[in-house]
Amino acid sequence: MQIKLSINGQKKNVEINPGDTLLKAIRRLGLTGTKEGCGEGECGACTVLLDGLPINSCLYLAFNAQGKDILTIEGLKGKNGLHPVQKAFVEEGAIQCGYCTPGMVLISKALIDRNPHPTEEEIRNSLSGNLCRCTGYVKIVNAVKRVAEGGKRNEK
Amino acid sequence: MKNESRVIGRRVSRIDATEKVTGSFKYPSDLTMPGLLHAVVLRSPHGHAEIEEIESSAAESLEGVIKVFTAKDVSQELFGEIVKDTPIFAREKVRYYGEPVACVLADSEDVARNAIKKIKVKYKTLPEVFDPSEAMKEEAPLIHDNYPGNIAVEKKAERGDVEKAFAECAVIEKDTFTLPYVHQVPLEPNGCIAFVDERGQLNLYTPNQSPAWLRSRLAELFNLDLFQVRVIQIQGGGGFGGKCPLTIEQICVALALDIKRPVRLVNNREEDFYATWGRVPMKIELELGADKSGKLLAKRSRVIADNGAYSNIAPGVLSTALTRIDSLYRLKNVENIGWLVYTNKIPTGMFRGFGNPQITFTVETLIDRLAARLNIDPGEMRKRNAPCAGDVSVHGWNLKSCGLTECIAICMEESNWNWKGPGKMEKGKKVYRGQGLACCIHVAGNRGVYPSFDGSAAEVRIGPDGGVKVLSGEGEIGCGANTTFAQIAAEILGVEMERIQVPEVDSCYSPFGLGAYASRVTAIGGNAVKNAAENALEQLKEEAACLMGLNKEEIIYEEGRFKSGDKTLTFEEVCREGCYSKGGTTIVGKGTYIPQDVTIADKETLYGNISPSYSFGAQLVDLEIDVETGKVKILDFLAVQDLGRVLNPLGAEGQLEGGVIMGIGYALSEELVLGEKGEVINPRYRDYKIPLAIDSPQVRVKFVETNDPVGPFGAKSVGEPALVPTAPAIANAIFNAVGIKVNSLPITPEKMKMELQKKIRELEEKE
Ligand code: FES
Ligand code: FES
Repeated sequence: MQIKLSINGQKKNVEINPGDTLLKAIRRLGLTGTKEGCGEGECGACTVLLDGLPINSCLYLAFNAQGKDILTIEGLKGKNGLHPVQKAFVEEGAIQCGYCTPGMVLISKALIDRNPHPTEEEIRNSLSGNLCRCTGYVKIVNAVKRVAEGGKRNEK
Repeated sequence: MKNESRVIGRRVSRIDATEKVTGSFKYPSDLTMPGLLHAVVLRSPHGHAEIEEIESSAAESLEGVIKVFTAKDVSQELFGEIVKDTPIFAREKVRYYGEPVACVLADSEDVARNAIKKIKVKYKTLPEVFDPSEAMKEEAPLIHDNYPGNIAVEKKAERGDVEKAFAECAVIEKDTFTLPYVHQVPLEPNGCIAFVDERGQLNLYTPNQSPAWLRSRLAELFNLDLFQVRVIQIQGGGGFGGKCPLTIEQICVALALDIKRPVRLVNNREEDFYATWGRVPMKIELELGADKSGKLLAKRSRVIADNGAYSNIAPGVLSTALTRIDSLYRLKNVENIGWLVYTNKIPTGMFRGFGNPQITFTVETLIDRLAARLNIDPGEMRKRNAPCAGDVSVHGWNLKSCGLTECIAICMEESNWNWKGPGKMEKGKKVYRGQGLACCIHVAGNRGVYPSFDGSAAEVRIGPDGGVKVLSGEGEIGCGANTTFAQIAAEILGVEMERIQVPEVDSCYSPFGLGAYASRVTAIGGNAVKNAAENALEQLKEEAACLMGLNKEEIIYEEGRFKSGDKTLTFEEVCREGCYSKGGTTIVGKGTYIPQDVTIADKETLYGNISPSYSFGAQLVDLEIDVETGKVKILDFLAVQDLGRVLNPLGAEGQLEGGVIMGIGYALSEELVLGEKGEVINPRYRDYKIPLAIDSPQVRVKFVETNDPVGPFGAKSVGEPALVPTAPAIANAIFNAVGIKVNSLPITPEKMKMELQKKIRELEEKE
């Protein structure tokens, strides 16, 4: 069957099977930045934002994503370069193998949008559905803190 | 040295960071190609059973299925690193739950997954054995006919006079430790693509950690000329040792050789637990003695290591467990005996730290018990036993640099270290605090894995465009090796990082390098890159001299400029003119590095200086134990590493931080639980618990720079040692908090609670 999805601001016609997950549909479009780490909703590698809210796309039916704005990692970078969260990840060294990175970046963006100045505990809490086996989370937490502090500085 | 700190030692972002943070980086599981077929493996549902019949016609008749493969369709050679005992598909019998029995090749993964359910295999079950100690008994079922007692390997490492030394000890501690089966669980499960091209060359895209080694293993297994095998490494989502041995590549290749079309084989999460082989579980009986000043005099260990059903790299892991820790301190008398035993379980293999975390756990916890009995501060006691640069250890290790004492001192100074002996429980007290310290030693490149050679080669190629390409065969598995190599080249050539590219390893053009294991890449591969860059610079100087009509000796190179008197040529000018004046050739700087005074450890005695350098570390943890829940909460964690020289603080810190958190998982939560037939009970992240952000402390990291004389710019290793002392530090902190002697991992809340209640009962009985 064919469905219409709005991904990163673009309308796309996608051929799917009725039970296909959003993850599958997205990757079939060649947007392979959204990763599969488990396919069971337990690692967050497949995180995308639906109308600004993070979901595990491996559990979400592609069919149900119609009419919603889907943001994948490919859509985050703006005309003026990297999103502040992406920039902070690069500069803080929050990336090793990088397989968790797209999900981590998007979940962090969703947090910062909702709560521009999270405490360390709030950061750690919201990252806890996203696994990273390489970094030990230290630099990921630092990256999010950096964005939050940047936000503070901008306010002044 | 002049200019040395221009790039080296700086907080340099990874060269692949932007690609990764924007989602454009392509991982092995993202790859596809026209005409690609998909393979899914049918795995054994029994731990030990004869295969009576395989009926695959129903599967084969499904639409989209190309072919079903079983043992009869593939190479009959056995493989394995030291002991060759593993078939591509099980032949007469299966030896573990999850062993590959057949494989479906189909148009799509969905079709293949569906089809494996339609294959009917008739099994006759055989008695199984899962516990290595049981497997060694005479009446135990035999797993491989030619290995009596199910013993794959027996090894010894004995030095000095242990009997006499123990007699001189003021205190002796002894215990038996059980170390669990833990899994690497990299975020990306393993996967690869293989195809045979029209000229008959086999091509393999793989995240394998050791492309050159993989290549020679495949050539041997399939009886191909080495030059007919092309291996292209695609950086995968995490390795940690799991992607080093042959685990799925041989299946993918066998299919591709047969079908002559591209074949993709990618594990799902559950399959990865069966197809990527975890840390060798060990039962270790350890006896350790010291004199009354705290000087360690004697050590005796008996190691029973669980091989699983096939020998992969575990023989090497056993050797490590029998020797490595002995060079951490100035021990002179050791007697270590170990057995690697077959069981009907998933094979075991290599995992960050090799056999070091297992043995370090035992020795480092017994040291604290000895210290307690001697009433000596365990940090002081370790310092008293620490070696110095220039020492040759009991196994012949040549310690050219050693910062262990400083690592321990920094841990103690920077953590309000306040050790007052093992903790005692009190009635009614609900929360206890404790501090624990532990140390480690690790290699930086362990000789003896690849039969003929353990060095590395590199090329630094500079074209007329002034671009610099660093070619190495070591590869990148996520740790940041390519960034390190780029830094080294940028430093030597005096150019900016942006100018440098590090292409992926491709046996078509990459020089020889063994890859990412044994913490060898920076120390060994980095030296080769350094030599290659120096060689390229010499050639550029020659070109500059030639262009200026001078002798090379008259040229000075500074900040990207070749100078002599008032004549100046820029880096670009020399590259351009130099290359074009020779018909547009490329300047190729070549470098090799062969570790000197390094040998393969003697097969019988395990004696020998196996690594060009050794790195040291100490870790200190401050934790809290909740008596009601049994939960251990890490309050503060400090990791101090002597890695010789920090080439890139971002990368080095990241290795330590990640290692410590992985070590915390090993200590507190991770264990692969096997059921009655050897099936994995918890093959998913929900149940196999790696640390989450919320459980993890903001690890503090410090470095001791001993500037090793051998390593590039003085660097040693950091990747593996990072997790080695973590678990014993935690166990020691528990001992310090409540006096409980931990002798098995993981220390789950349930286990902790039981131990705490036992203590409380003892307390009540005393009253
Ligand atoms: S792939 Fe969706 S949560 Fe793991
Ligand atoms: S960087 Fe490898 S999993 Fe996070």
